[in-house]
Amino acid sequence: MNCEVCELKELVVEQFEIREVLRCILHTIIFHRALGLVRPRDINCELFELTYVQCGVPEVEKEIEEKITEFISKISKHPNRRSHQVCLSFYETKDKQPAWFSSKTERVYWERWFINLQITNQRVNMKPNQTKVGFDPGEKLSSLEEKKLHRTALEASIRENLFQIIKFVNEKMDHLPHIPPNAEGISYPYEITILSSSESSLDMLKRMLQTGHQTTLS
Amino acid sequence: MAAHSDSGRTTEQIVSQFLSKALHAILAARIPYIHGPTPPPSRHPRKRDRWFHLALGDPPPALEHPSGLIPNGVMEPLVVDILLSPRDDPTMPEAIVERWVAQCEAPAPWSPLHSPAETSSNSFLVKRTYKKSIILLRSIYSVLRLLPAQRVFKMLCASNQSYNHDLTYRVSSFAEPFSRKEEAEFQYHCFAPVETQSGQLAVSVQYRPSLSQFNLEISSLLPPMLITDYVGSPAADPMRAFPSSPSERAGTRSSTSFPLRGSQHGQPSTSAPASAPVFFNRPHSWTGGPSEVPSNRAQHPNHPPTGSYRKPAFNFDEFKFSPPFYMSPTPSPPKFSGSYMQSPLRSETAPVSIPQPGSSKVKVLRSPNLSDPTRNFLPPPSPRSARTTDPSSQDSDSRSFRRPDGLRTSDGYSNMYGTPKGLKDGRDDSGRFSLSGSPRFTFSRSSSRISVPDDLDDPDFSYPFAVDDVDSSDSQARSNDGKEVSDFGHASSSHKSQDAAVGVLVHMLRTAAPLRDSTYSSQSSKSELQEEGLGSTSSFFMSRKASDALEELQSYKSIKEMLLSQSKGKLH
Repeated sequence: MNCEVCELKELVVEQFEIREVLRCILHTIIFHRALGLVRPRDINCELFELTYVQCGVPEVEKEIEEKITEFISKISKHPNRRSHQVCLSFYETKDKQPAWFSSKTERVYWERWFINLQITNQRVNMKPNQTKVGFDPGEKLSSLEEKKLHRTALEASIRENLFQIIKFVNEKMDHLPHIPPNAEGISYPYEITILSSSESSLDMLKRMLQTGHQTTLS
Repeated sequence: MAAHSDSGRTTEQIVSQFLSKALHAILAARIPYIHGPTPPPSRHPRKRDRWFHLALGDPPPALEHPSGLIPNGVMEPLVVDILLSPRDDPTMPEAIVERWVAQCEAPAPWSPLHSPAETSSNSFLVKRTYKKSIILLRSIYSVLRLLPAQRVFKMLCASNQSYNHDLTYRVSSFAEPFSRKEEAEFQYHCFAPVETQSGQLAVSVQYRPSLSQFNLEISSLLPPMLITDYVGSPAADPMRAFPSSPSERAGTRSSTSFPLRGSQHGQPSTSAPASAPVFFNRPHSWTGGPSEVPSNRAQHPNHPPTGSYRKPAFNFDEFKFSPPFYMSPTPSPPKFSGSYMQSPLRSETAPVSIPQPGSSKVKVLRSPNLSDPTRNFLPPPSPRSARTTDPSSQDSDSRSFRRPDGLRTSDGYSNMYGTPKGLKDGRDDSGRFSLSGSPRFTFSRSSSRISVPDDLDDPDFSYPFAVDDVDSSDSQARSNDGKEVSDFGHASSSHKSQDAAVGVLVHMLRTAAPLRDSTYSSQSSKSELQEEGLGSTSSFFMSRKASDALEELQSYKSIKEMLLSQSKGKLH
C-alpha cells in the first residue's frame, strides 16, 4: 500500500499561537479522515478570524490537546531551535509472522501529514535595551503594526494550509482503506508524533523504508 | 445507464442524497436561523444523518424531500446562489456572494463508466463512490467555513443587532451566467470530482474574495420614526385612546428597518416594495408588533399597510427564499403583551373605586383642589419625576394609565425581550424555513422565553398608585400646592362635592400602596400626620418642604372646621 505524504507549508508562529494553530490543522485533517459517523462542530479560533471543524469525538479532542501540550513543553526545552514538526499518521494494523522478541502485529502507515512550524520570539523585532518605561510610542505603534501584519499573514497561511489539506484529501482517495461498517467517529487509527528539529521528515521516511517497521520518534 | 444496488444504495440514491445533504450544509452555513430562532436540539442521529456519515441535524422543511429539489433527476445541476441583500434600501440590488454548483455530469463516451460493467465491479464502484462522496461532503463542509461569507454569517447569527444586509439564497437548476465584470470579481474553487456510474459528481464554488465593498454595518435598533401615540411622556395627551382594532394597527405599521425578502413568487405588494416584510412573527416587533396579534400593539405608527405582511407561498419553481425574519436584534414581544397593554387600560377605566358618600372618616392629606377630586387626593409626586402636567387636563384615568418607566417606551420593549441568543434558544424543534405562513412560524414569539417583570404577567395587575402615577400627580400637586392652598381657604364648595372629595380622599389614602421609591423617607411626614391624627402613609410627604406641609396642614384644618360647621348647620 502506498503511503501518501503531505508536507504542509511552514507556518511562522509565536509561542502563544502554537496551540491554536495546531488545533486548527490537526482537527481539520482528522475531520477529513474520520469517516465514521460524526456530528461536526464548528470552532471559531480565538486568535484568528478562522472557523475550523472538529469531528466532535471527545477522545480525539483530548488526545490532540495532550499532544499539543507535549509539543509546547518540548520546544520550550529547546528555545534555540526554531523549526519544529508535528507528524499526524494514519495506519492499519496488520498481523505478521510471530517471531521472537517482536510483536505479532505491525502498523502499516498509509498516510502521513507533516505540519511545519517555525517558532518566533515575541521580542524578535524589539531593540535589546527597550523597556516599557520610556518606551517610544512611535516604536510601540510600529511594534503593534508588525504584530498585526504578522497575525494577518499567519491567518492567510493557515487558511492556505487548510485549503491544501482539503485539496489533498479530495485528490488522494484511492489509498484509503475500507471504512469499517457502522463506524462511529474515527474510522482509521492514527498517531501524532513530534519530530525533533534535527530530524526532518525526509530522514524519517528514509528510516521507515529501511526498517519497514513502526518508528516511534517522539 | 443502469443503476446498480449495493446494500440498498444505488448510485442514483447516493447522488440524490448527496445533493440534498450538500444543499443542507450550504444553507445551514449561510442562512441565519434557517431552522428558526431555536436550533433543533441535538439528538441521536437518525437515518438521514447517517448518509455520508455526517450528522447535520434536521434539514429545513424544503429539504425533507430531496426529490423536490431535483425534480428532473440527478443529472440536473443544483445551483445555489448565496445573496447579500441590502435591508434598508430595497432599491439596491442584491449581490451574489457565492455560487455553488453541484451536478452529476454524464461520462464521456470513451469513459469506462459509459458502458455497463459487471455486477461485482459495480458493487465496488458504488462503494468507492460512496466513500469518496463522504470525503467530498466533508470538504464542502470545511470550505464553507473558510470562505469570506462565513464571517458575514457569523455576524448575522451571533449579534443581537440588526445589520443593514441580509443573507438569502436562491436554488435553481440553472446558473445565470455572470457578466465579464462580475466574473472577474469572483474566485473559483473546484473540488475533485467523484466518479459514479451516472457520471462525474462535480462540485464547484465561485465566491467573492472580499465582501468589504458591501459596507456591512449595524443598522439602528430603533429606526427613526415619530411615535405619535406615545403615552409615556407626560406631555402626551393622556386622553388619547389606544387603537383597538387590528385594521387601525395594520394601517399604522411600517416595515421600518426590516424589509424582508418577502418576494414570494409573483405576488408583489402594491403598497410595499418587493422586499417588504412578510413574516408576521418578527421577533423584534416592538416596532410594529406581530401581525397575528395586532391588537397588542399600539405604540408604533408608521408601519406599512397590512398587505406587506402577507404570508408568502412557497414555490419551488423560482427557488427564491428568504430566511425567517430572525436576524434583527430585538426579539419578539411576549405573548402577554396584550394583557400588559390592557392592564393600563383597565386601570385607566377604573383606577379608583369611589367610596359611598357620607363616609364619616375624613382623611384629608392633599391639596384641596376640588376641581378634580380624585386627582388631587393622590399622594405627592416622587422627586424623580421632573415632569409637570397641566392639572386641569388630567384626570384619574390618565394618571393611572401611565405605565412604569421600564415598560413605557419601545426601548422598554427591547429591554424586556430576550437577545437573539435567547431567540435562538427558543427555536422550535421543528424549525422551519419555508414561508408558507403556517402556525409554526409563531414559535418566534410563543416559544421564546423572555423575561418580563412578573407583574406584567398578571392580567389583573393594576397599579393605580404606581410610582409614575404618583409622580405625575404628585408633581402637579407639588407645583400647585402653594397656589391651591390659598385658593382653598376661600373656596366654598357645595356640601356634596366636599363630601365626595373627602370620601375619595379617605378611600385612596386607605387603599394606597406604599411608595417604592427609596428617596422617600418616612420621618418628617410621619410626625406631621400624627399631629393631625390621621396616620397615613408617611412617605407621601417626605419630599416636601416643611413650609408646604404646614400650609397644607392649615388648609386641612380649615376644611375640617368648615365641614364641622356645615354638619352642625344641618343638624340644626
